[in-house]
Amino acid sequence: MLARKMRHLRSTILWIVVASLGATAFAVLAQSRGESINAAWILVAGVASYVVAYRFYSRYLALRVFALDDRRATPAERLNNGRDFVPTNKWVLYGHHFAAIAGAGPLIGPMLAAQFGFLPGTLWLIAGVVVGGAVQDFTILFASMRRDGKSLGQMAKEEVNSVAGMAAMVAILAIMIILLAVLALVVVNALRASPWGLFIIASTIPIAMLMGVWMRSFRPGHVLEASAIGIALLLAALVAGRWVAGDPTWGPWFTWSGTKLSWGIIAYGFLAAALPVWLLLSPRGYLSTFLKIGTILTLAVAILLVLPQTRLPALTQFVDGTGPVFSGKVFPFAFITIACGAISGFHALVASGTTPKMVTHESEARLIGYGAMLMESFVGLMAIIAAATLEPGVYFAMNVPAATLGPTAETAARAIGQWGYTLHPGQMEALARQMGEATLLSRTGGAPSLAVGMASILGGVVRGTGLALWYHFAIMFEALFILTTVDAGTRVGRFMLQELVGHVWEPFGRTSWYPSVLISSAVIVAGWGYFLYQGVVDPLGGINSLWPLFGIANQLLAAVALCVGTTILIKMGKWRAAWVTTVPLVWLALVTLTAGCEKVFASDPRLGFLAHARSVAPGSANAARLVFNDRLDAALALAFMAVVVVVILASAREWWLVLSRRKEPVVHEAPFVASAFAAGD
Amino acid sequence: MRAGGDTRRSPPGRARRVLGVLLGAVRQIVGAPDYQRYVAHHAARHPGRPPLSPREYYAEFLSWQFGSGGPTRCC
Repeated sequence: MLARKMRHLRSTILWIVVASLGATAFAVLAQSRGESINAAWILVAGVASYVVAYRFYSRYLALRVFALDDRRATPAERLNNGRDFVPTNKWVLYGHHFAAIAGAGPLIGPMLAAQFGFLPGTLWLIAGVVVGGAVQDFTILFASMRRDGKSLGQMAKEEVNSVAGMAAMVAILAIMIILLAVLALVVVNALRASPWGLFIIASTIPIAMLMGVWMRSFRPGHVLEASAIGIALLLAALVAGRWVAGDPTWGPWFTWSGTKLSWGIIAYGFLAAALPVWLLLSPRGYLSTFLKIGTILTLAVAILLVLPQTRLPALTQFVDGTGPVFSGKVFPFAFITIACGAISGFHALVASGTTPKMVTHESEARLIGYGAMLMESFVGLMAIIAAATLEPGVYFAMNVPAATLGPTAETAARAIGQWGYTLHPGQMEALARQMGEATLLSRTGGAPSLAVGMASILGGVVRGTGLALWYHFAIMFEALFILTTVDAGTRVGRFMLQELVGHVWEPFGRTSWYPSVLISSAVIVAGWGYFLYQGVVDPLGGINSLWPLFGIANQLLAAVALCVGTTILIKMGKWRAAWVTTVPLVWLALVTLTAGCEKVFASDPRLGFLAHARSVAPGSANAARLVFNDRLDAALALAFMAVVVVVILASAREWWLVLSRRKEPVVHEAPFVASAFAAGD
Repeated sequence: MRAGGDTRRSPPGRARRVLGVLLGAVRQIVGAPDYQRYVAHHAARHPGRPPLSPREYYAEFLSWQFGSGGPTRCC
């Protein structure tokens, strides 16, 4: 009795200490005005919030809302087939799920949103994940786990209605196209006129093919062995890139313009989707997963060792919407821009994909669904820290398009001086030399400035390794896994299109019929390739129009997922607890609809698509194309908003029917089967 | 499979076993095929039928993994 009381007291004291630490960190962040603070405060604020939220809020969700039940056999146990349905150790599955949800979004988004200062991004990454992102992932994982691993689209159709199901499917395809375009644009901007970077990324293709042949012909299925060889070759290419770039013959050969790079990526995307998967797609996926996990862990350790000071202010004057990186006020555009690290609709696809089929005990969904998303938010905080360690002048010189900064270091220094930050004209040249690049001016898209931030952190740990090597390591890391998303996404998009058209014309739906494979791959590649190319030649830099569209699309998918989650909770009779999904849903609807309306209708031509179309001088070069693209972007934003509204209305109708007892609440859960596993097995 | 109390208790045997578990975990994290696990599963579920060869198993694994598009990758 006494011992239990002591334990209880100790635990209470511990949680009070953790909560006070977090509160102190938030106070330090909020009161920093102008002076530099240590990045440790950002980490402490984040980690303290995560552990408190995990301990208390996710426990409430697990016990009270979902009532996870370890006596109930999971799909992994009931349907164990040694392949996709496999009972998996919870920490292994945590790693698997995290590797599947982590991508470029949580790194790029916070880097771009840093134009508002580091505070808005930090606060939203922390608050958004605790109340929104982790709840969404956990809810969908729970729902799918109770339905034998059904996909989000299937659940929308069965639990809400077929309108919501159809809207979800079309939304997923449209979002995929914009996502692939904007990610490819980030890669183009990172590799533009960078022979070192392009050499490494180009060499991943033969390296992956070698791995593919190795795993198929020499040592069938030996993925780890082939990956070890691949990573060794990749690091050799990283080092060799410096010599290639400096070579008078090869250097120019690997120096590509933006348009040439975009054609290259388009061709690559098509080939990767149409070639046999064992040759390119599958081995590249392994290479990129290993590099991703390895680099994220290394960066976390490096940040803890270095604990850098921030140089970027907590808030900049650009919260008023005059920002040069992208236009729009802090509300709603900080939320749209951060997206993935706080809440990402795409995770609903993973949480209703492979993961629910591998959970051993129901209670473990808490660690995997809620816990892995906290880690994703932590990755976002690392990107904020990398941004915050840059000098403001350097940050803006790298992330603002040339149309605003002008062509030379002098014009850039003048423009940045007008915003109240200092940049010496020689500073950017010196930095570019240090990083082994020809120029770092207007290298928009976030990846190059993230690489500079990462290089200064990583280079601070391993002294004497040279910043240029770390810079290109970071570029390699980002470009490799972005391109893996591009090629895998093209293939997934191809299958979706084949399924969709297959409803109308049956032969097109045969996924291995070659004419259908080629046509559908070409259509998907042409879809994102079009937006990519327009982004590359866009005088405003492309990111300004495409990243918000991507953010809106992603948050919209999250809204669809939360609608499905709310419907399921209400049908389970848990309407009193349904606020856990409706609160983030209302917020997301507010953010996406406001942002969508502003992007379409705002009168400022830098912000509103239609205003920009009106501002194009009729006789000027490319006028027709610019106007067409603005109208296309506007139509797309309107379509996205229409989908959100349709899904919300369709769901709300179901809620009303069920709550007013006009309709029997029928949940389509798989029937209860008692688990043979002892709890905690 | 590799039975016998001796190899399990001897230090090199134990090290190999720990390494085997670790590598198995890494395979599951990155979504790689695991032939040993497949053979064990096959022996338990379908005794009497010979398992696929490593080459056949890998080909079947790929066609299953990419049969409906491939693993979802996030942004």
